[in-house]
Amino acid sequence: MSFKKIISALLVAILFCLVFCGCENKTEELKPTEQFYVNDFANVIDSEKETALLNKAIALDKATTAQVVVVTVDSLNGETPEEFALNLGRAWGVGNKEKNNGIVVLLAVEEREIRIEIGYGLEGDLPDSKTGRIIDYYGLEYLKNDDFSAGLYNVTSALINEVYIAYGQTPEESYVAIENLPQTNDLKKNGSKIIISWIILIVLVVIISLFGSRRGGGGMGPMLFFMGGPRFYGGHHMGGGFGSGGFGGRGGFSGGGGSFGGGGAGRRF
Amino acid sequence: MKKKSTVIILSVVAAVLIIGIALTGTVIGSYNGLVEMSESVETASSNISTQLQRRNDLIPNLVEVVKGYSEHELETFKAVTEARNALNGADNLGEQAEASSRLSGALDIWVNAVTEAYPELKANTQFIALQDQLEGTENRISTARKDYNDSAKKYNTNIRKFPKNILASIFGFEKVEYFEAQEGAENAPSVEF
Repeated sequence: MSFKKIISALLVAILFCLVFCGCENKTEELKPTEQFYVNDFANVIDSEKETALLNKAIALDKATTAQVVVVTVDSLNGETPEEFALNLGRAWGVGNKEKNNGIVVLLAVEEREIRIEIGYGLEGDLPDSKTGRIIDYYGLEYLKNDDFSAGLYNVTSALINEVYIAYGQTPEESYVAIENLPQTNDLKKNGSKIIISWIILIVLVVIISLFGSRRGGGGMGPMLFFMGGPRFYGGHHMGGGFGSGGFGGRGGFSGGGGSFGGGGAGRRF
Repeated sequence: MKKKSTVIILSVVAAVLIIGIALTGTVIGSYNGLVEMSESVETASSNISTQLQRRNDLIPNLVEVVKGYSEHELETFKAVTEARNALNGADNLGEQAEASSRLSGALDIWVNAVTEAYPELKANTQFIALQDQLEGTENRISTARKDYNDSAKKYNTNIRKFPKNILASIFGFEKVEYFEAQEGAENAPSVEF
């Protein structure tokens, strides 16, 4: 009888442990999909672009070992986008273990936030300022207009191209490197066009500051007027014969064990 | 009779030896575990310092850009300077955390004040870039702080647990401080004009 008691006590103890271990994690519960590189949990990316992004991310991983993972969620459940993306990147082990060259692109629909988390190993090539510029130039306009699919596609493609450049490889032909984009503070030399842009800008800034003053990173929208709007590029890659079917046999992809230290940039849109 | 007692003595000696070896193994293992934990606490703490330094280096650059728009750095910059001096003068982790938190708040207030006074700044890519770097650094600081506190907690718990606490007191493993500001420290004191 006492033996039975001991056994049942042990079982209860084990159960207790299991229950407690299960409570600790939040983000870790979110498991990557079979596709690993593209996880459209919020269902906002159209299938054509999803396939194109998946293929681009696979090609990048093969060529450089860097992993770019796109995640969309309906809600962050109270977490900040920074925490969410960081925890997810660490839990999934995005990027190579030695090189820590992972990138997480997170879009939260309810909070209207985009966050790009850069792994330790890529922080030098993709500093926060460059990452922020990528969002501003390639994605913000689309995201503001609720075209999450195009916004994410453009931002992620730009990131992938910047990683190619960082690894000394050739990016897509149509890609304009962030370094080669015009700086708005240099534009003063260009004369009359600028005056109109300034007026538009000031009006916009006034409007923006009238409607809710958001904390940090706000008011990036007007910048696009100076740069002729975001560019949509790389479209010719889509719809080609790049089905993702051939990968099923490998049982999906997974992270390489990379880690993150909180680098990157984000915007509310 | 004699034989029997030798057998008993021998088996006792053997048992003591086996227990001794096993104990030594455990002691070495625990000791090394403590060393590893204390090492990762060190690493985490130096990560915090790196990021704090990074933020310190960013501030003059931001000031430089703002000066292109105005000769003055605005009154609100005083709080930044004060917090920065406090951070430089901090000699323990608690003070450092406190001052760091104050600096975060003061910088936030200053950047908001500056962009309100000079809305043109919001279109200056250099300013945006610096602001991104600043936000990124703040984020890295909070990540480094969390990682540090996690490893400090693990270490502190381990040196208090039996039987490791015996080892810890023999070899002088001491409890480490957490990098934590007092509640509300991030709300920098408001500046009077």
